[in-house]
Amino acid sequence: MLGDSRKAQEVFHTTLREAALRAAHGELPKERFWLFRDARWRCLEATEADLQPESLKLDEHDLAPHAASQIEQMEPTQLAVWISAAPDPQRTALALFCLDEFDYNEILDLADLKLTELSRFLVQGRRQLQAWLDGKFPEATNV
Amino acid sequence: MRTPRLSRGQRALLNCAPINQGKLTDRSMRSAVSRAADSPEFANQQNFDRAVAALVTLIPVPPETAEWFAEKDLVVGSKWTWKKIVRNPAVLAISIAVVVIAGVSVFQVLSRLHDFPGSATARKLLTVAASTRPVMLDPVSTEAGTLSDLFFMKHGLEHYDVPEEFADFRTIGCRVFEDEESRRIAQIWLAEKRMQLFLFPAERNTKTGAVLGFPGWRYVSQEGWVGAVKEQSGVCFMAALRGGEKDLEPYIAKTKE
Repeated sequence: MLGDSRKAQEVFHTTLREAALRAAHGELPKERFWLFRDARWRCLEATEADLQPESLKLDEHDLAPHAASQIEQMEPTQLAVWISAAPDPQRTALALFCLDEFDYNEILDLADLKLTELSRFLVQGRRQLQAWLDGKFPEATNV
Repeated sequence: MRTPRLSRGQRALLNCAPINQGKLTDRSMRSAVSRAADSPEFANQQNFDRAVAALVTLIPVPPETAEWFAEKDLVVGSKWTWKKIVRNPAVLAISIAVVVIAGVSVFQVLSRLHDFPGSATARKLLTVAASTRPVMLDPVSTEAGTLSDLFFMKHGLEHYDVPEEFADFRTIGCRVFEDEESRRIAQIWLAEKRMQLFLFPAERNTKTGAVLGFPGWRYVSQEGWVGAVKEQSGVCFMAALRGGEKDLEPYIAKTKE
């Protein structure tokens, strides 16, 4: 969500502190995902002052059969930065989906999205990442 | 392999298909995924997502944060407590149904516990006894035991004998009638406690024709009436009166002594 481990750590600790305080007062919300929802808003707040992604139309390519080998060439932090550069709510959708911890209903609930919106964000994200991969690792395209 | 025709909804679901197939908990998602399982586009998407997810696991997490998640699931499923299970409408509905079925079964078992061959006919005859008026019978004033000859001579009914326990009681009237199954039934009205006696054919095995006998006296009750039934020589005898078993017991116990 943030593409910055220091900020991520701050948000994580702030969220945990909030949870501990609420627990101490017996005010923990019964909502199952409130901690994630809370962390998400804190992440968005933390990036408000940062440079915002430009609203330009990114290139999109069809998914290539060799995309997996292109992705293997990426640095993990590159992927984190790439996702965090996406405008929200696409950023939330991609981050939650790629974590592979939530099913689509849970993502819809957490990110306040409709199914068609989540579908569009994921399709766009994949196609944009493919275009980025094709630009970054063109040699793998010809393998 | 061609991509199967999918509705817009299914296509949207496919785009959100979980990376891990173990997360296919949603029925509509399972259906969409199974329809597209063989399509190359979907296989491409899944390979793409798996590769991304694998890379995500390699994104470095600060050690201070990582230790929070050691041996812990990121998302803990909601626990099923007994209270929650009991309050579940499906569980509640099934429990009520099971209790009702069990209740009916227990009732049926208890009601059939004292059943014997001919008990159904005996119950029907208790209903007849409750609705019979003295004017419906031919007036006969004699000892009940002597009516066996009358039944044999006048109606051709063999072994329609009144057991010795009831043979000495004075009669008010008697008749022979046919029930709905054309079985001939002898009915005797006694002066003693307005008791009624019935003689009817014992039940037989439908295949062999053998009499389905039973030892001793058996009780049946119906709508406030009680009957003591005995089988002898292929004929059932029933003494019936309004009341309970304790009202009939003295007559039967008398002979046992």
